[in-house]
Amino acid sequence: MRLTFDGDVESFRAEFAAFLAEHAPDGAEAAERSRSSAHVPEWARRWQRLLFDTGWLLPGNPPEYGGRNATLLQQYVHLEELARRRIYHSYNPQGLGIVAASLLSFGTEEQKRRWAVPILRAEITAALGMSEPGAGSDLAGLRTRAVLDGDHFVVNGQKVWTSGAHDADVLLTFVRTDPDAPKHKGISVLLVPTATPGVTRRPFGSIAGADDLDFNEVFFEDARVPAANLLGDLNDGWRVATGSLGHERTLLWLSFAARLEELAEDFRPVTPLDRDAYATLLMDAQALRLLGSEALARADRGEQDVAALSVLKLLGSEAVQAASERALEAAGPGALAHPATTAPHAHLHLEAFAAGWFERYARSFAGTIAGGTSEIQRTIIAERLLGLPRK
Amino acid sequence: MLFEFDADQRLWQDSVRRAVAKECPPALVRAVADEAADPGPLWRAWNRLGWTELTAPGEAVELAIVLEELGRAADPTPYLATMTQFAPLAPGDHRPGVAGAAVLDGVTARPDGGGWLLDGTAPHVLDGDRADRLAVVTGAGVFTVPAEAVTATRVPAFDPLLHVAEVTFDGVLVTTADATGADTGPDTDTAERTDERTDERADTRTSAGINANSRAGTSVGADVRTGANFSAGTDAGTITGTGGGTDVRTAADVRTAAGIGTGTSAGVDVCIGAGIGGGVSAGSSYARDLALTGMAVTMVGACRRVLDLTLEHVRSRHQFGAPIGSYQAVKHKAADMHVAVRRARALAYYAALTIAAGDPRRGTAATMAKAAAGECQSVVFRNGLQLFGAMGFTWENDVQFALKRAKAGELMLGGAAEHRARLAAEHLAGGRPTGDPLAGGRPGAGRPPVTDGGERHAAHL
Ligand SMILES: Cc1cc2nc3c(=O)[nH]c(=O)nc-3n(C[C@H](O)[C@H](O)[C@H](O)COP(=O)(O)OP(=O)(O)OC[C@H]3O[C@@H](n4cnc5c(N)ncnc54)[C@H](O)[C@@H]3O)c2cc1C
Repeated sequence: MRLTFDGDVESFRAEFAAFLAEHAPDGAEAAERSRSSAHVPEWARRWQRLLFDTGWLLPGNPPEYGGRNATLLQQYVHLEELARRRIYHSYNPQGLGIVAASLLSFGTEEQKRRWAVPILRAEITAALGMSEPGAGSDLAGLRTRAVLDGDHFVVNGQKVWTSGAHDADVLLTFVRTDPDAPKHKGISVLLVPTATPGVTRRPFGSIAGADDLDFNEVFFEDARVPAANLLGDLNDGWRVATGSLGHERTLLWLSFAARLEELAEDFRPVTPLDRDAYATLLMDAQALRLLGSEALARADRGEQDVAALSVLKLLGSEAVQAASERALEAAGPGALAHPATTAPHAHLHLEAFAAGWFERYARSFAGTIAGGTSEIQRTIIAERLLGLPRK
Repeated sequence: MLFEFDADQRLWQDSVRRAVAKECPPALVRAVADEAADPGPLWRAWNRLGWTELTAPGEAVELAIVLEELGRAADPTPYLATMTQFAPLAPGDHRPGVAGAAVLDGVTARPDGGGWLLDGTAPHVLDGDRADRLAVVTGAGVFTVPAEAVTATRVPAFDPLLHVAEVTFDGVLVTTADATGADTGPDTDTAERTDERTDERADTRTSAGINANSRAGTSVGADVRTGANFSAGTDAGTITGTGGGTDVRTAADVRTAAGIGTGTSAGVDVCIGAGIGGGVSAGSSYARDLALTGMAVTMVGACRRVLDLTLEHVRSRHQFGAPIGSYQAVKHKAADMHVAVRRARALAYYAALTIAAGDPRRGTAATMAKAAAGECQSVVFRNGLQLFGAMGFTWENDVQFALKRAKAGELMLGGAAEHRARLAAEHLAGGRPTGDPLAGGRPGAGRPPVTDGGERHAAHL
């Protein structure tokens, strides 16, 4: 056990910090806000492209995909430095973290060139179409149908919650290609350009406002998608689902750690109970970093333990929620105002921390619902880590 | 930070586990509880194995590994008190094989000739009835005395394995020769050191007595509550570096400096009081931090045992035609126990690691460790006993030993709520940015934050 990283990791950090000091966009440049998770303002596109071109976008990737073949620990400090400055490398997180990552893991060379590189360079944006009205936690119950017809798939069905779909150029869409197979075995993944005839996107408001448009319903009516847009093998989509999510989750906990550290800066305890909750927040933040770094060390040795990451997701998301609730209640009637009591920010500013406490608390439920609910995480922990019998 | 055991630590853990399984099986623990079997041979086994030699700060992680396993086994020997309470207060005095205990409050020192007379009663001294030597914290410093010098009476405890004693000092004469020179004050040496692994005991032995406690001038609360049992004029010459003639110190001051709450209300209050006035490391000392960390890691070990036994039970017990562990209400309680254990264990080893590395975060880490262990035992006790059903309510079931060990730890050295109060106070006093949260205090201050909604990044799906 050690409290410090090796010199190569720290010099990597210093190099990136120097880069950020010189190149990170300032407030004036970055005045235009991203309004959904697939809307990337012009300045943010330039920023992401600069990161891609200098190998600072996803340092773990090879240079042709925006990286510099960095080690996992170097990738960790890279994200740490970004989080410390409350800045992101991409304003299309699903595009970068899941869609491009899945393409790099499962795509053909042609698909990587055609889709992954433009997403990484912020030339196009992407959204993730997994959930459906009837398939939430039970993702494998999805029913959107795709039928091969010559060299095209014909897609019919509906997705929902598809964050940023109305601003996205392409949807990574999970479809049923074999309705007779057991439910995990009949799923495939298609890249569906949103301009495809028969694809309709209908954004709708979130709990934070009727005009806070990120969620979408997406309808497919005889949408014809080239067979070349199939990602991975036919009926092998479950592997893509677990693969891309597993890839993603190695560092997903870091965003909760960053959120907790932001809360530790922003939360102003008033009463002894607030202070008590504040101490819990500090402990959660520290514990999450410790457990996360342990998971990182394992992953660095090539041991992938997806179930263990459920502990981090559960701990992190619930800690953020508990601290946000306390901070909200500590703020008292001042927290009734919307959108922001902490600074004069415009209504559509989506920064969790710039929003009022009420909104921050409400948004904390994204953490405990999306990406596998807390209940699902508890079940995974009990069955896969603790060995309790499945029903 | 790479928070994982290295190869040597894994080997050490394996060998400790093997030794504990062999020397301290559940049947032995049961025999100590039911038949008053003598834990003496077991204590000698720990000594034979060299485990009582783990006193260098640089070995804190290895010590923690031993303590975790002993917590799991509900070790019936005085190992915890000796190694984490007595030894750090009596750096020159600790000898392998000699059982020690620490008297943290209730004893005053009155000057008498060239020495002091110690008087008072400490009601709940861990292993006070079976220690060979006792380290006693007083306003005049920390002294060690042999067991024969005091009257110690074991107090009947709810935990049948636990030894707590009422220890009375009735005019026990000590001299500077008995002073341990233990580090009981805010440890600026440590704060300044980087991460070299030096033997801290050497530093503290050469430092002048307990002069560090003169820095406990922030402990106003302590003075008020405990009153002046001891006046400064009389200890001149033995305590250097004190302020003016108004310096009035009590044992509580020293505890404050040592930062060790004792579970009595005065001890706890001064422990918290110390944090409010000071910076992040206020109240941190090697003795305090090791005592808290040792107790925390012991509790974590006990909690792991409760979880293991609970899992075994819910897998094998059937109701409604299925193992009760297949019911989700049961699974989720078990998952919460697991997360609580993981969290507390991480913070406990972090505290041990900061001790080993002489890291300035040591005091805060020890506070967090004890608080997290307390939170963990609460979840583990509640869910564990509940999931056992009536089976857990019996004397015959061994889960009682682990449950009681875990809960007993919460009742000693300050509970979770007290340590959280201390942590919040330290952090809020420690140069945290104030005013508009967007106005600065983080890298890139002055630049408006450029981000697009953390929750999207926190939850990609
Ligand atoms: C902010 C946000 C953004 C999102 N973005 C996207 C996106 O971009 N693309 C996308 O595809 N999806 C997205 N989602 C959808 C997300 O993946 C689902 O919300 C999630 O999978 C849960 O499904 P559900 O909402 O249908 O809840 P349900 O599955 O209906 O669950 C409702 C409640 O029932 C509980 N429950 C369900 N099953 C069980 C069980 N077996 N045992 C115990 N309890 C159970 C759940 O824990 C929960 O408390 C997003 C969601 C949110 C909140």
